[in-house]
Amino acid sequence: MSTATKSAPAGERLPAQKNPGSSGKKLFRKVEPYIWIAPSVILMAVFILVPILSVFQMATSDVSRAGKIKGFNGVDNFVKVINNPSFSLVLKNTIVWTIAVVVISTVLGFMLALVLNNKFRGRKVARAIVVFPWATTLVIQASAWDFIINTDYGTLNTLLMKIGLISAPVNWTPTPEAYFAWEIACGIFVTIPFVTFCVLSGLQSIDASYYEAATVDGAGYFQKLFSITLPLVKSSLTVATVLNIIYVFNSFPIIWTMTKGDPANHTDTLVTYLYKLAFYNGKQGEASAVSVIGFVILLICASVYMIYTLRKGDEDL
Amino acid sequence: MKRFLALLLALVMTMALVACGGKKDTPPADTTPPAGTNEPAPAPEPSAEKVALNVIAAQYGDLTKDWWADFQNDFNGSHDDIDLTVEVVSWNDIYTVVNTRLSGNNPPDILNIDTFADYQADDLLRPIQDFVSDETYAKFYPAFLEQSNIDGTIWAIPDLASARAMYYNADILEAAGAAVPTTWAELKDACQKIKAYDSSIYPWGVDMTTDEGQACFAYYSWTNGGDFTDADGNWTLNTPENVEAVEYIIGLVKDGLTNTDPANETRYDLQELFASGKLAMMIGPNQITNYVEGKDNPINFGIASIPANEGKETSSVGVMDRFMVFDKEDTDDKVDAIKEFFDYFYEDTRYSDWVIMETFLPATKTGGEIMAAADPDAASWIEIVGSAKFYPTAKAEWADVKQGVIDVEQHALLGGDVGELLETLQASLPN
Repeated sequence: MSTATKSAPAGERLPAQKNPGSSGKKLFRKVEPYIWIAPSVILMAVFILVPILSVFQMATSDVSRAGKIKGFNGVDNFVKVINNPSFSLVLKNTIVWTIAVVVISTVLGFMLALVLNNKFRGRKVARAIVVFPWATTLVIQASAWDFIINTDYGTLNTLLMKIGLISAPVNWTPTPEAYFAWEIACGIFVTIPFVTFCVLSGLQSIDASYYEAATVDGAGYFQKLFSITLPLVKSSLTVATVLNIIYVFNSFPIIWTMTKGDPANHTDTLVTYLYKLAFYNGKQGEASAVSVIGFVILLICASVYMIYTLRKGDEDL
Repeated sequence: MKRFLALLLALVMTMALVACGGKKDTPPADTTPPAGTNEPAPAPEPSAEKVALNVIAAQYGDLTKDWWADFQNDFNGSHDDIDLTVEVVSWNDIYTVVNTRLSGNNPPDILNIDTFADYQADDLLRPIQDFVSDETYAKFYPAFLEQSNIDGTIWAIPDLASARAMYYNADILEAAGAAVPTTWAELKDACQKIKAYDSSIYPWGVDMTTDEGQACFAYYSWTNGGDFTDADGNWTLNTPENVEAVEYIIGLVKDGLTNTDPANETRYDLQELFASGKLAMMIGPNQITNYVEGKDNPINFGIASIPANEGKETSSVGVMDRFMVFDKEDTDDKVDAIKEFFDYFYEDTRYSDWVIMETFLPATKTGGEIMAAADPDAASWIEIVGSAKFYPTAKAEWADVKQGVIDVEQHALLGGDVGELLETLQASLPN
C-alpha cells in the first residue's frame, strides 16, 4: 500500500501540492515575459509609432505655416505634391541615388571584404583604416568632399596643378548632373565600410574545410567564390543591403551639405525636398505627404527584397 | 536574487518610460528652455507676486548669448516684480523651436525673429502698439514699422536692420583700368576689363542659392524699376522690368563674368573670395566691412551704390528682424511687464551697444544718431538703410514667392526662358 502511494504518477500528486501561491506563480510566469519586453515596447511606441502616426496625421491635414493643424483635408496634400512638376524629378533622383550608392558600395564593399579576409601583414591596421570613414560624421565627410572638388580653393585642383597635370583650375561641377555624381561618389565612400564589415563577419564564419575540399576537387577561385562564398554570406549581404537601402534612401547630410538640392531641385532627393518644403516653404502638410510617400516606397522595397531573398534561401536549403 | 533585481530594474524602467510619456501633454514650465537651446543664465525661482516673462531671441553671433545673459540679470535686478527669462536660439533651430512651442500651446510672450505674417495669419499675435510705450514707439523709423503692417495694424517692431551695397576691390579695378560702375552697362564693361586683365579673378559675385537667391532678384529688379508687388500690394513678378532684370544677371553668368556656380555659392563663399582678392566686386551687407578688415592682409576695398539700369534709380535692399508679442490673454501686469521690457531694451545707450555688438544697423532714429556720432563709417550705412526697400514679408505668400524667384533664377541658369518662368510663378499666386 505504502509503495503504491509512493509510486503515484506525478499528475495525481499535483492537487495535493496546490497552495495559494501556485496560481499566482503561474500568472506571474505568464506575465513575466511581457514585463521584460515592456520597456522596449513602450520605447518603440513613444519614439517610433507616435512620430509615424503624427506624420500620417499631418499628411492628411491642413497645416498652417506656423505649424497649427487646421483640420482634415484627405488626400489634398498628396495631390499637390504629385502635381508639382519638381516631384517627378526628385523621385527620379532618389531612385538613382539609392540604386547607385547601394549597388556600387555593395560590390566594392564585398570586394574589399574579400581582400581584408585574407591573411597579410598589417591586416588589422587595414581594417581599422576602413572603419575611419564610417566613424566620421557625414556632415564632415560631405564638407571635406566639397572642399576637395571646389574650383577655387579645392585640394584636387591644387594637387593636379602641383604635379603639372593641369595648368588652370578645373570646374569639377559644371552641371547639376556632375554635382550629383560627386554626391553619389561621397555616398559610396561612406557606405563601403558598413558593407565591408557586414560581409567580413559572414566570411569569418565560413568553415575553411569547405575551401579545402573544393581545392582538392580542383575548383578554381571563381568557382569557390560563386559556389561557396556567395551562398554562405548571402544572409549577411541581405541584411546589409536592406539596411543600406533604408539608410541611403533617407540620407540627408551629404546632399544638404554639398548642394541643398540646388539648382532647381536637380540634386534633391525626397528627404532634402521635404525638408525644404517644411522649413523653407512652410508647407508642413505637403512635406509630411512626401514623407509618407517615401515611407511607403521603402516599406515596399524592403519587403519585396526580404521576401524574395528569404524565400530563395529556403528553397536552396 | 539576480533575476529578481533585473526584473525590478525592468519594472522601474517601464514606470519611468510611462512617466515620460505622461509628461508629454503637460506644457513645460515657462522657465524651462527646449532641448538644444542654451539658457543664458539661471533664472531665479518665480515667486507668486512676480510676473513671469518668457522671451525667445535669435542668436545673431557668438556674443549674443552673453549679452542677453547680462541683460536678463540687469533687468531682473532692477525689476523686483518681473521674472524675465530669455532663451537665445540659433537661426537654424528657431523656427522648429517656436513651432514646437506653438503646437504645445506654449508660445513665448515675446519672440525675436524675422517673419511675422505666418503667426499673424493664425491669429497668434497681438497688435504690438498695445505692448510698447508711446516714447519707445516714437523712436522707430516709420518706414520700418510699415513693414509689419497688415490691414492697418502694426504687428511687430523692428529690432535691427541691415542694408546692402556694392563692395569693390579698388586695386583690381584700378589695375584693370575700370571705373567704379554706377549703371548696368558700366558694370558689364568693368567686368569685361577685369576679365581681360586677369582671367583668374571673378569680376562679379552672384548668389542665387536657396540661402539668399531672393536678394539677387531684388538687387536687379529694384534697380530696373521693377518690384515684387505694385503699390496696392498685388504680386507683379512677370513685369517686363523683372524679366529684363533676371535676363541681365543670367547674361553676366553665361558670359563668364561671374563666379562659376551661382546656384551653389552662397554669400559667405563670395565674401571669402572677395576678402582673398579672387573676386573683384559683389553686393553684400555692412558686416562684410568687419569681415574683410579682420583678415590678416585686408584688401583695399570701397563701397558704392548698387548699379542701376540706364535711367533707373539705384536702390538698397534692406533686411529687418522683429519683436512680436503672442496672444496669451495677458493680464494688465503682464502687459506692463512687456512694456517695461521694451523700454529697457530700446533705452538708447543699451540698444546702440547691442546693435554695434551685433554689427547690424539700428532700427530707431535715436539709436542711429548715437551710432553715427560714434562711427563715421556707420553714418553712411545708416543713411542707406533709412532709404532701403524691404521684402514684402507682410504678405502671406512671401515664403512661396521667395522660393519661387530662387527657382526661376536656377531654372534660368539651366537654360529656361525667364519670361515663361516668371509667368508660371505669377500664375501660381492669388491676386
